[in-house]
Amino acid sequence: MNGRISKVGVVLIVCFVALFVQLNRVQVFEAAGLNAHPENLRSIDRSYERSRGIVATADGVVLARSVDTPGSDFARRREFPEGELFSQVTGYYSFEYGADGVERAFSDELAGLTDAQRYDRFSDLFVDRDRSADITLTLRSDVQQAARTALGDRKGSVVVLDPRTGAVLALWSYPSYDPNRLSGDDIEAVRAAWDDLDADPERPMLGRAYRERYAPGSTFKVVTGAIGVESGAVTATSPVFPMVSSYTPPASRNPIGNFGGMVCGGTLVEIFTVSCNSAFAQMGTELIGPSKMVSGVGRFGFNTTVPFDLPASAISVFPVRYGAELSPGVYEDSARLAQASIGQNDVAATPLTMAVVASAIANDGAVMSPHVVERIESRDAKVLFQSVPTRWQRAVSPSTAALIRQGMESVVTQGTARALAIDGAEVGAKTGTAEVGDGEATNAWVIGYAGVPGAVPSVAFAVIVEADPGIGEQTGGRIAAPIARAVVEQALKPMQPVLGG
Amino acid sequence: MVRARRRTELGLLLLAALIVTGAYALASLSRAAALPGDLGWFIGVVVGLFVVGHLAIRRLASDADPLLLPLAGLLNGLGFVFIARMNADLAAAQAMWSLVGMAGFVVTLGLIRRTRSLESYRYSFAALGIGLLLLPSLPVIGREINGAQIWISVGPMSFQPAEAAKLALAAFLAGYLVDKRELLALSSRRLGPLYLPDPRHLGPLLVAWGVSLLVMVNQKDLGSSLLFFTLFVVLVWVATGRAAYLVLGGLLFGAGAFGAYHLFGHVRDRVSIWLDPWPVAKGAGYQVVEAAFAMADGGLTGTGLGLGNAGRIPARETDFIFAVVAEELGLVGATAVLLAYLLLIGCGLRIALQSDYPFEKLFATGLTTLLGFQAFVIVAGVTRVLPLTGVTLPFMSFGGSSLLANYVLIALLVRISDETAKRTTVVQEDPQRPVGVAGVGG
Repeated sequence: MNGRISKVGVVLIVCFVALFVQLNRVQVFEAAGLNAHPENLRSIDRSYERSRGIVATADGVVLARSVDTPGSDFARRREFPEGELFSQVTGYYSFEYGADGVERAFSDELAGLTDAQRYDRFSDLFVDRDRSADITLTLRSDVQQAARTALGDRKGSVVVLDPRTGAVLALWSYPSYDPNRLSGDDIEAVRAAWDDLDADPERPMLGRAYRERYAPGSTFKVVTGAIGVESGAVTATSPVFPMVSSYTPPASRNPIGNFGGMVCGGTLVEIFTVSCNSAFAQMGTELIGPSKMVSGVGRFGFNTTVPFDLPASAISVFPVRYGAELSPGVYEDSARLAQASIGQNDVAATPLTMAVVASAIANDGAVMSPHVVERIESRDAKVLFQSVPTRWQRAVSPSTAALIRQGMESVVTQGTARALAIDGAEVGAKTGTAEVGDGEATNAWVIGYAGVPGAVPSVAFAVIVEADPGIGEQTGGRIAAPIARAVVEQALKPMQPVLGG
Repeated sequence: MVRARRRTELGLLLLAALIVTGAYALASLSRAAALPGDLGWFIGVVVGLFVVGHLAIRRLASDADPLLLPLAGLLNGLGFVFIARMNADLAAAQAMWSLVGMAGFVVTLGLIRRTRSLESYRYSFAALGIGLLLLPSLPVIGREINGAQIWISVGPMSFQPAEAAKLALAAFLAGYLVDKRELLALSSRRLGPLYLPDPRHLGPLLVAWGVSLLVMVNQKDLGSSLLFFTLFVVLVWVATGRAAYLVLGGLLFGAGAFGAYHLFGHVRDRVSIWLDPWPVAKGAGYQVVEAAFAMADGGLTGTGLGLGNAGRIPARETDFIFAVVAEELGLVGATAVLLAYLLLIGCGLRIALQSDYPFEKLFATGLTTLLGFQAFVIVAGVTRVLPLTGVTLPFMSFGGSSLLANYVLIALLVRISDETAKRTTVVQEDPQRPVGVAGVGG
């Protein structure tokens, strides 16, 4: 009998060896394939398993938080209580489609995965604890809400900055989308919502305020004027531009006409006030020239990546090639430079860049790095990051900026932005009406700044209302300036912290 | 020698207690970043239970094999750690059942002083075994849980009688085969190429076999059916040495499997899921697919105790607990658990080999086959070596009936090893004969 008992033992050993072999297959040799299998939701689980911190506005409104989902396949889901209002800043957080906005750029911080958070204490080498961090944004919920209300259901963007620090106070564009639709725990519903939003011709997920470029039109005269003054070619009193109704660039037969065929000219402040195309086109082409224009626009953030803490912002562009110099100061493509000098031709700027232009002028010529994240704080109240105002670069000298402010303030007191005159505030602005394509339709712009008289302005802004073929010509002064006024009035009020937010 | 075996046992028990309490602390650290509040209690209960078992062996079976209790305690403790890490309510029940199991261990050692005394009750055990198997089919107390009618409920208590029935049937078979093995080994009838014994002797065997299989097929308990079938075939073959019984068993198994496959939808489902679970990965194949994902996630060294994603694995505290082990402890830890079962099998078969009484040999072989094959069947189902059949992983899965039955099983092996060792030391028939294995593990 003993021989057979031993054989039973051998058979059982063989059985267990089979288990061992199979375990090796599953856990080692086929593990990579199984981990990557489309039915395998474990990696998604892991990201959902982790608690992520709260994202809140400067005034304490919660924009994003993790909520437990009992009864669901996933431990948690990301909730965005303000819906579409802040989605272009916070982005979404989806198990299938990744993340966008702050949720993407600061994903590791929110989930507690940065090295500083993971190995904060010695015990962290051994133990997993909730290391997620909360993010406080620079945005104010009241200013953001004012921007949404003022823009209404017109396609466009509103960007409000604090020129002294670069802090973004509001960043809104319409149409927007509800990030909760992409962040739920119902996979099928999320897929349907994604397909829906992705196919929408209005492109609600685009984030136009910093990812879409438009011809800046007359608002670009702020840049051209500032470069002209900075180059020494233009002062407060000279030159006096000729009173004409159009300007024909050298080596060109196509004149650039003034708005409505008006006759204009004069000193810098005068041509600012009436937005004189002929004078600024001449300034860019003949007084500044291609090389100084190209290097000058770079200092305002064109043709370069503006440091910004949201992901995938678009680069604003200004043409750089004007052909050979035919005679001193005259280039093959001088006509192009003349158009670019008034923000037409191939000049394309994001609303954010134009707000940066306005804030550079407001802040005595210094461009502060725009940013939306003010502070990152760990669960145990340890500050992991605190934004400090950082000068990205200098656009122009303080005296140049002061002269351009005179021109922009004149636009508010006597020019096209009279809608922005606010009692008790010093406001400077420049409107723009940029033609789109061949039709009548135009993009309506206004950029500017506002603040307490005598101090560095506390608010800089850019507003664009996109061309609407059904409406025809929309001027910056008539369409965009009232929107800017409503937003600026709100931004000038002191921030009211939301209690219990 | 006696002292040496018990010292070995005590040392191994302390090692097992260290592993179990360490695992318990680690699982809590990784989930809550803190030592468990009840760690003191936990250490006390684990050490207390082990010491009670150890003292019982010292007093009641002082020459017993020193490996059985530490291995059982280790697997029981590790299983508890995993259950506690997943479900606090079940953990409380499992802790209670561990106490009951250890009590069953002590009581078995106390009641059964002489294994061969069981031999004369063989037909009572047959009746008891079949009666227990029939219980869940009774109207009032029978319960169907997860499609299998294998439970009985009395008040708030649920019990799986098949767990006790398998011990009773092992005792019956050992007793019956000892009595009839000479007759069964004779081949008086010829059926084709096979020589078969007189049907008068084969009859009771076939009846017991058929009844238990029928009952279990009726209750849809495939795992237990497979287990009993194997027990019958193995013991008849070991007792008689007739390869014809293996062939006959194989034929009967083939016929049974063929019939079950065509008669029962759930058998067909199990087989098709085993062959290819992916087309139904979201449906019926969900269990094995998620188990495979979990084990793949664990990889070589595992995610770490308490750091896996056990929530995705169905039946994670019972049938699929091995997938959780493989996920969190990795291939390394899962292999260690498999080795622990293999060591238990080795101990059990060594006890069978060393005993000089046929009944004890057969009984020990039967008990070891039950334990080892059950562990194999469920791990094979979880890892897709075999179609999935729902049985518990002995000592590790959640479940009171299983835990109690397996502690009684271990107590019976302890008893047999003690009797054998006592006989060899007292009689000293042959001084050259190896007595005991005090050196092993010590």
